[in-house]
Amino acid sequence: MKRQALLGRIFTYAVLGIAVLIVLFPVYWMIITSLKLPREIYRTPALWPQVFTLNNYRQLLDDKGFLDNILNSLIVASAVTVISLAVSSIAAYSMVRFRTRFRGVIGRLILFAYLTPTSLLFIPLSILMARLQLGNSLYGLVLVYLTFSLPLSTWLLQGYFRSVPRALEEQGMIDGLTRLGALIRIVLPLSVPGLAAVAIFTFTGAWNELLLALVLITSESARTAPLGLNYLITSDVLPWGPLMAGAVLSSLPLMLLYFVAQRFMVQGLAAGSVKG
Amino acid sequence: MSAARAIFGSSETRFAYTLLLPVSILLAGLVAYPFGYAIYVSFTDRVVGNDGQWIGLGNFHYLAQSPAFWAAIQNTVVLVVASDVLKLAIGLGLALLVNQRLPGRGLLRSALMLPWAMPAFVAFLVWRVIYQPIGGGLNLLLTASGIWPEVVDWLGQRSTAMPAVIAASVWRGFPFWFVSILAALQNIPLELYEAARVDGASAWQRFWAVTWPSIRPVVIVTTLLSSIWTANSFENVWLLTQGGPSDATIVFPVLAYFGMQTQRIGEAAAVSVAMLPVLAILVFAGTTMMQRGEDE
Repeated sequence: MKRQALLGRIFTYAVLGIAVLIVLFPVYWMIITSLKLPREIYRTPALWPQVFTLNNYRQLLDDKGFLDNILNSLIVASAVTVISLAVSSIAAYSMVRFRTRFRGVIGRLILFAYLTPTSLLFIPLSILMARLQLGNSLYGLVLVYLTFSLPLSTWLLQGYFRSVPRALEEQGMIDGLTRLGALIRIVLPLSVPGLAAVAIFTFTGAWNELLLALVLITSESARTAPLGLNYLITSDVLPWGPLMAGAVLSSLPLMLLYFVAQRFMVQGLAAGSVKG
Repeated sequence: MSAARAIFGSSETRFAYTLLLPVSILLAGLVAYPFGYAIYVSFTDRVVGNDGQWIGLGNFHYLAQSPAFWAAIQNTVVLVVASDVLKLAIGLGLALLVNQRLPGRGLLRSALMLPWAMPAFVAFLVWRVIYQPIGGGLNLLLTASGIWPEVVDWLGQRSTAMPAVIAASVWRGFPFWFVSILAALQNIPLELYEAARVDGASAWQRFWAVTWPSIRPVVIVTTLLSSIWTANSFENVWLLTQGGPSDATIVFPVLAYFGMQTQRIGEAAAVSVAMLPVLAILVFAGTTMMQRGEDE
């Protein structure tokens, strides 16, 4: 029996070890390629570079203007996060606290909106934005990103608000707070972990988006990070070094954020998007 | 009767709807209206610069005769089914292993979640580099270890392009399954397992009697969500192969984007609308399951 348990343990660690290696290898390859000289990337690929260089990063930032792309991404993702948190938190509060007649229908429509894919909406949205004169601008991008961020954050926040005890709010209102005051002073502060998780989900959703940006943004100065990298591979020569440098710059901050906030994220997942 | 209701009476209902107003207006303008508009445009011969005319099913007739469209149907089905099955198997298997009392378990869990934290566009660009015949990591590993001595152009030939796209999609997508299933596993009361063990149930019987019934709702919702997302994923195919070689990996969203690029808006809209019937079933099932989960 003891032997069997030991074998089980060895099997478990062996499988998990292989899985972790497969998960880590692309991350490793991304970082290592971004630090290699062209000759080492193309002619003598190896697991460990002979010479480490920051040339790829320099090239990406100086020649390709990638810093502007990153800045655009930061502006768009932050704006989307702030707007959707504001709009969706009052909506989610209403859904959770009031038993209005159309609550079920509205909840369902929000879910429909959440599951309506961008691939269906990108054509009409590009026509709509062109008509609103927002075609080639970051404002337009912020607006269309609300299509996926609003339903998701409303849905997730409902899960968090539901866990705030109603009695606390009622006590606050007896003490003279209005409904809105109770939301701002009591419910929101108690939901900070949830708001943080939703903010991260929303931010990353906007940060990662490619298709809508590809369709809407035509000028080089308004390109976001994914767009900048996308146009690196549609050129004739494929610059793997700078490309992987861009991949590192646009993913490491987010991966660190996820790592730090992991507990919130998993709870968020359990509380909202997937309820069992 | 809550204190709040006693204080606010029926003005409360008005307040409740007021709070829902911004989200309703934005979603009506940015989701519902474009949704209807996409369907309308798919019945016109709209091109860039010309709003076009109603041509009934003309675009759909045209698509039905286009080999690329049939290739997109086939590839999308293959991509969705293969990725779902693999992600379920890998996600469930790893979640069961990590759910044991193991030293280093938190670290393992974090490491396995990593692809989820990586932006999709980054993940698929990295895989594109890994698959390269020149400078790619996969060929290096296979030739250096002697597993496969020849250099393979994974994304460049029809036979390997689709499996390569699926493998990269599974790599990026399995953590969502892993995390969801793991969360469900951790909610199962240990007493249930104890009771099953006392009754003399084998590990296999315990899985089917205790584990599976507890995680089944999560698995169903995850399958529905993942199918919807995979059927509509653009980045994986676009960044890896752009649908090539010769339509071997073309999928609906990429085909629609190509239509848009060639400025034939009506046809492009018809491509994305063509998948609506199947999508509608998945979305309807998904929302029903998610609302039911919420009410419990």
